[in-house]
Amino acid sequence: MNENRESLLIATLVELADNLVDDYDLIDVLTGLSLRCVEAIDVDAAGVMLASPAGELQFVASSSESMTILELFQIQANEGPCVDCFRGGLAITNHALNESDDRWPHFTPRALAQGFRAVHCLPMRLRGRTIGALNLFRTHQGALTDDDVTVAQGLADVATIAILQYRSAIDSGVLNAQLSNALNSRIVIEQAKGMIRQSTGCEMDEAFSRLRAHARNHNVGLTDLATRVVERSIDSNDLDAIAKHL
Amino acid sequence: MVRGHCDGAHWHFRTQSSKIGCEVNVTIDRLLDVYALIERLGRDDTKVSKLCSVAQEFMAVDGAAIAILSDDESLVSLCASNEMANDLMNLELTIGEGPAFSASRGGANAAVNLLMSSAPHWEAYGPEAVALGARAAFGFPIRLGAIRFGALSLYRAAPGPLTPMQDADGYLLASVIGRVIVASQAGGAQEDLAGELNGASMLDFRVHQAAGMLAVQGSLSVKDALVLLRAHAFGAGYSLSNLADLIVSKSTYLDAESHAWIDDAVGASDEK
Repeated sequence: MNENRESLLIATLVELADNLVDDYDLIDVLTGLSLRCVEAIDVDAAGVMLASPAGELQFVASSSESMTILELFQIQANEGPCVDCFRGGLAITNHALNESDDRWPHFTPRALAQGFRAVHCLPMRLRGRTIGALNLFRTHQGALTDDDVTVAQGLADVATIAILQYRSAIDSGVLNAQLSNALNSRIVIEQAKGMIRQSTGCEMDEAFSRLRAHARNHNVGLTDLATRVVERSIDSNDLDAIAKHL
Repeated sequence: MVRGHCDGAHWHFRTQSSKIGCEVNVTIDRLLDVYALIERLGRDDTKVSKLCSVAQEFMAVDGAAIAILSDDESLVSLCASNEMANDLMNLELTIGEGPAFSASRGGANAAVNLLMSSAPHWEAYGPEAVALGARAAFGFPIRLGAIRFGALSLYRAAPGPLTPMQDADGYLLASVIGRVIVASQAGGAQEDLAGELNGASMLDFRVHQAAGMLAVQGSLSVKDALVLLRAHAFGAGYSLSNLADLIVSKSTYLDAESHAWIDDAVGASDEK
């Protein structure tokens, strides 16, 4: 493992540990984790899908909020590497994408069209139950190193802990409630993104950046902020466009 | 056993996409169960009023009631599966605490189990609910993102928690009820509900983005925007996802003054 990555991983773990002891926003933490995946592992996009209590797989966070990337997660509500990884509870690594592959007839052509050539998926497991999957995309084929796979599974496990630890307004440790809240948070954010886009004229991915920047600058949770946007207790035009770095 | 239903036309899209779907996808089976129940119980009445009967049977409890948040944030009873459930919901609405209140007001929360333990919540509600025959009560929020529709309350004559499976079913049912409420407020033929529950379009992120955009375009709440979206999709013969796509790509928008739908010719032709 090279030195650069080692320091990146240490920074990631410290950052996550900091986050997880405090009150935190789950979508924000999982978005950060997805971004770290792209920095620490030889992949070009990463995202987290979680299963609803009843087993419907839904997108919650990604390293990119571009509509085309989100679409790749949307398709996986029905089919794709995440679905197989989630149902089987087993990692899918180094799956090369090519036109002749009919394993995922909807997913594969769209992923190829976005320039991806390989896909990986790591299960998020908790005491024998698979609750979601970490999905990694690469624009070139070829195998991930064993180190990469280990790091990716480690990050998937951290994501699982983040979900379990997440405290909602009501003190309930029930996993179903945590999952339901996480998935609902993502819907709040999508509603808010639509309002921000319409109000400010920005693109959808920028609407997310604004939400995240404002949440960070003002030390409020991403979901809480999105809720306030939807309920109009904050005007979309008053959101900070850029994060102030500390 | 509903596995055989997996081959039914309603589930074509979802089951076709995975070879192993029918064997392991619990959701599809359970959604089918809910849908079959709604069909069976709702044939000669409006489906909304039958939702509580569906809930009682689906969840295998002794009573179910649904309370809806009105525009002024007060809870109103939508339906109850039987007299006990009706009394319990009325009790809750009168004294202002109980499972539906906790679930709907908590914003982001969970099912709450009531009478079995020392129950720190609901000091007033607890004893009165027991007097009405309940030994356990549970509330599930009915919500879609920041939209809070209300809550589903479930009542049981025996104490104890829900099983993990029942708990998961409660969330599933609450989400189906949310979708049915949107559909019923949007009007349109009830038969369309089949395709709607099937298509799981409420899980499509574009639908929620579009509802947000519409809310700003028409100065509406996001909830009203979603209902409008659903109504227009039905009226114009679009799927919810397709219409959402048109709105997100700004090919279709709502006129701020007249609330008329405008199809931008340039953008629309790009779509086709």
